[in-house]
Amino acid sequence: MVTEAPGPMFALPDELAIDTGVARTVIAAFIRGQLRQAGFERAVLGLSGGIDSGLVAYLVAEAIGAERLLCVLMPYRTSSPASREDAEEVVRRLGCASELVDISPMVDGYFGADGEPGAAGPEGLEAAPLRRGNLMARMRMAVLYDRSVTWGGLVVGTGNKTESLIGYTTLFGDSACAFNPIGDLYKSQVRQLAAAMGVPEAIIRKAPSADLWPGQTDEIEAGFSYPELDRLLFWRIDKRRSVDEVVALGFDRALVERVDHMVAGSEFKRQVPPIAKLGPRTTGVDYLYPRRRPGSARS
Amino acid sequence: MQPLRIALAQIAPQLGDLDANLEQHLDVVHKAQAGGAGLVVFPELGLTGYLLQDLAAEVAMRLDDSRLATLVAATADGPSAIVSFVEESGDHRLFISVALLEDGEIRHVHRKAHLPTYGLFDERRFFAPGNALRAAPSRLGVGLGLAICEDFWHLSTAQLLALDGAQILVNVSSSPGRDLAASNEVGLGTATSWRTLMRTYAQLTTSFVVFCNRVGVDESFSFWGGSEVIGPNGAVVFSAPMFEEGLFYADVDLAEVRRERITLPLLRDERPELVAREWRRLIAERAGLAPDTASDEADHAASTGAAERIRPVPADLETPW
Repeated sequence: MVTEAPGPMFALPDELAIDTGVARTVIAAFIRGQLRQAGFERAVLGLSGGIDSGLVAYLVAEAIGAERLLCVLMPYRTSSPASREDAEEVVRRLGCASELVDISPMVDGYFGADGEPGAAGPEGLEAAPLRRGNLMARMRMAVLYDRSVTWGGLVVGTGNKTESLIGYTTLFGDSACAFNPIGDLYKSQVRQLAAAMGVPEAIIRKAPSADLWPGQTDEIEAGFSYPELDRLLFWRIDKRRSVDEVVALGFDRALVERVDHMVAGSEFKRQVPPIAKLGPRTTGVDYLYPRRRPGSARS
Repeated sequence: MQPLRIALAQIAPQLGDLDANLEQHLDVVHKAQAGGAGLVVFPELGLTGYLLQDLAAEVAMRLDDSRLATLVAATADGPSAIVSFVEESGDHRLFISVALLEDGEIRHVHRKAHLPTYGLFDERRFFAPGNALRAAPSRLGVGLGLAICEDFWHLSTAQLLALDGAQILVNVSSSPGRDLAASNEVGLGTATSWRTLMRTYAQLTTSFVVFCNRVGVDESFSFWGGSEVIGPNGAVVFSAPMFEEGLFYADVDLAEVRRERITLPLLRDERPELVAREWRRLIAERAGLAPDTASDEADHAASTGAAERIRPVPADLETPW
C-alpha cells in the first residue's frame, strides 16, 4: 500500500514555536494550583468541537485526571453536526464525563423562532447574526456556571491570545471563566500544543469557526490567516515593534493599522470594569489582594 | 577540608499562609539535618509566598517575632539556614528580607536592595528597598554573600559581596518563568538568562554561587525552580530540575575557592579605588550636582567621540561618601 506523506497539519511561524514540554508542565501546575487555591478538585468546560476547547480538555485531563473533568456540549439548532461529532470524539478519547445541553430553547425563547416572537418582542426575530451569536455565547456561559455548581468544579476558560487581543470574543460570554490556561498562547501555538498532546487531527486541521452559521470561518470573517495575524501580534505586542518596524518586516501597512485598531478597540473586553473612585480604599485601585489567599478557598 | 553539603529547599510556599510555610520550613530543616547538610537554603519569601500585594503588611514579622524564633531555634543544633520573609522595621517599613540563621541566632539579615517595579513586577509599591550589601561571616568557615532575586540583575551586587569577603554568593529567588520560545536553551527564556548570569558571576568573582528558586503557582505566575550550585570556575556543580518541588543536595569542596583565586586572581586585581572614583562622579551627575554626561550630553558625545566625555571629578566631591 502506498501512503502519501501527509502535509503539515498547520503552519507554525518559527518565532512562535514554543517548547511544548515546558508549556505542558507549566499549564498542568497552573490548573492544579488554581483549583487547589480555590478549594476545588474538579473542572468544567464548554466543548465546542473546535481546537481551543479540545486542547483545554486535554490539558485539564492531564493536570487532574479525566475523571474530574466535565465537558458540556452546548449546540444551537444551527450548529454543525460535524462539530458535535468532533467534540464527542474528544470525550471518547479522554474518557471524561460529558453532558449535552441544547441551548436552542434558551436562545429562541429570547429572539423567537419560526415567526413566533420571543421575550425580545417581534423585533427580535430580525436580530442580526452578531446579536444572536453573542446571546448564544452568554447562554453557554450561564449553563457552564450552573453546571459549575452541579458538578462542583471551576469553569475553565478556552479563549486563546489571538482572539482575545483582536476582541473576537463575547464579553461575559465565551471569555467568562474562573481561570484560563491557554489565554497567553496564540492560535498557531494552540495548534502546536494540540498536535503535541494528541488532540484528534481532524480538529487540528479544520478551519477555525465560531460556528454561528453554516460555512462561517474565523479567517474569512476577519480577512486574514491566523499564522499571519499571530506573527503580527507577536511582533507588535510581545516584541514591542513600531508600525514602521513591522512594515519593514514585510507586513502590509493597511493590515497593521486595521489590527492595531482592533486591539485598541477591544481593550475594554480584557479588563475588569472601572469602579468610580469614591471611598478610602477601592477594589482594583488601592485595595489589592491576590484572588486566592488564606480563607478564600471553599471549605 | 570536609565537603560542605548544601541543601536546596526548592519549595512551593502557600501564598499568605505564614503558619503553613513555617511548619514546612521546620520540617525541611530537620530533613536537611538528617541528610547531613551544613547549610539549607530556602527561596525568596519562602515563609510568605511571593505575590502578596496588600497581604504584605499582614504577614510581616519583626526580627524578634516569636514565630521566627522557632525557626531560629531549630538551627541551634542543626544546619545553618537561609530563610526569607517580609520584615517589618521599627519604623514600620516593610522589606523583603533574607536571614542567615546559625547556632540558634540570627547572624545576618539582608534586605532586598533592588525592587523590580516594571513589567510583571510591582515590588516598590509594597516594599522599601534595603540600603546595605554586606558579606557575612559564617560558622561554615567562609564568608556568605546574601542577595535576593533582582539584586543579582545588578552587576555591583556580586562584585561588592565578593570584595567584602563572600566566598559563597547565595541568591534566593521567586523568579516567575516566562518566554517559552522553543529557541531557548532549556525551553524557558527566564531560565536561560539566569543560568548565563550565575555562571558569569561565579567566574568573575571566583566564588561559589548558590541559587535557590521556588516552584509552584501564585495567581498567573509559575515559578520555575531550577536551583543551582555553580563552582568558582563557572562550572555547574549541581542543577535541580525545573518546576519540581523537592529538597536537593549538592556537595561542594570549599578549597575550590582558594585554588581558583590563586589560579585566577581577579579579585586581587580589582580596582575598588578606581571604581569608587568613577562611581562618585556618576553619583554626582545622577544627583544633578554635575553635568550628566550619560544623558544630557549623549548626543554631543556621540558626535564628538567618547574622549570628550572623560571629565575630572569635581574637587568638592573627592571626599568619600
